[in-house]
Amino acid sequence: MKSFFQRNIRMPLFAALLIITATCVVRAQDPRIQLASLDHLAAKASQTVDVSIDERLMKIAATMLSDDGDEKAVKKLITGLKGIYVKNFEFEADGQYTAADLESIRTQLRTPAWTRMVNVNSRKEGAFEVYLMLTGEKVSGLAVLHSDAKELTVVNIVGPINLEKLTQLEGQLGIPDLGIEPQKPKTKNEEK
Amino acid sequence: MKITFFGAIILAAIFAGPTSIRASEGLPLHRCAPGREGVVFSPTARNDDFKSVVKIIEDFYSVKHLGIPFLAKAGIKLATTAARIKGGEAKRIAQAGSVKLAVFENQDFAGDFTKFRASLNAALNTSWMPLMQTLSATNQAQTYIFLRNDGDKFTVLVINIEQREATVVQVNISPQNLAILLRDPEGTGKTITEEATIVDQE
Repeated sequence: MKSFFQRNIRMPLFAALLIITATCVVRAQDPRIQLASLDHLAAKASQTVDVSIDERLMKIAATMLSDDGDEKAVKKLITGLKGIYVKNFEFEADGQYTAADLESIRTQLRTPAWTRMVNVNSRKEGAFEVYLMLTGEKVSGLAVLHSDAKELTVVNIVGPINLEKLTQLEGQLGIPDLGIEPQKPKTKNEEK
Repeated sequence: MKITFFGAIILAAIFAGPTSIRASEGLPLHRCAPGREGVVFSPTARNDDFKSVVKIIEDFYSVKHLGIPFLAKAGIKLATTAARIKGGEAKRIAQAGSVKLAVFENQDFAGDFTKFRASLNAALNTSWMPLMQTLSATNQAQTYIFLRNDGDKFTVLVINIEQREATVVQVNISPQNLAILLRDPEGTGKTITEEATIVDQE
């Protein structure tokens, strides 16, 4: 005779686990990373910048902007993008954010969907990490994590984006100057 | 006690719900932050967002905004510039006749700005799109820029709060100026506020 557990709970439990797993997988493939875990740093920061340009605004702006002058330039930059999210914290003293704060972001970027780009350099001091999310062969998201003693910046761009476009976006649309250095073309010797 | 199949699904949905996404958009209205005089119930900002935002500031910080006529009587020439913008003479970013302005002067804006921010975002997040928010714990300064699309026009709401003063400005902008705002939200937000509030020295 089957036990109470076997009869009444095993199947629903299996179904629930299946649903939870499916939800986690969907989240893991979302190119938008959750930045709310950093919000508490605003109370310590001498300056906090929080930019949120979501898909609604991107779509509306792309529709409304014309193909002339400044509007054309902005339209070109945002076409295809589904969101730009930035959090930048500047502190007056060292040690105002913890390794756990950084880890809350890095954990999301360690999933198989994200790939860290190793050959990107920045003029800025501190640690500089760039991650790309690939969906098939297409880039569906980008994340930049910059941290030094007195500053922490996270940039998350959702949609088709590459380093060249990111460089164009620096200093615009609320994206801070990340100091990304253009990649040098390979010499013949390096190619060999 | 039996746990049914559907019961288990509901439980799973509760545990796996999109709480983290909601958390990034601010607290729901019924959990708005307490002000210095207790719990602040933020009014919904659907019908008259500008007035609602002014009310949120007044309730949270226990302050009162000054009307433009009062400022004019007090010898502050702010009204002149505001009127000019309304008439279109001095407009740069704002469309003629679209400026709404509330000014708080020489009042105390000390308080937990993270709680204020949560209240404001909760009140506006259904009808407005947050564009940029800058906060400074050192200077107790806050700037919020929200956007709303009304058919063929864009409305911008700029809220600026410092230690002793605050302004709320709502303007309509053209698509051309939307491009300028998107390119440089912080700088354009400042320009919008300055246009509406700068003291005319002439």
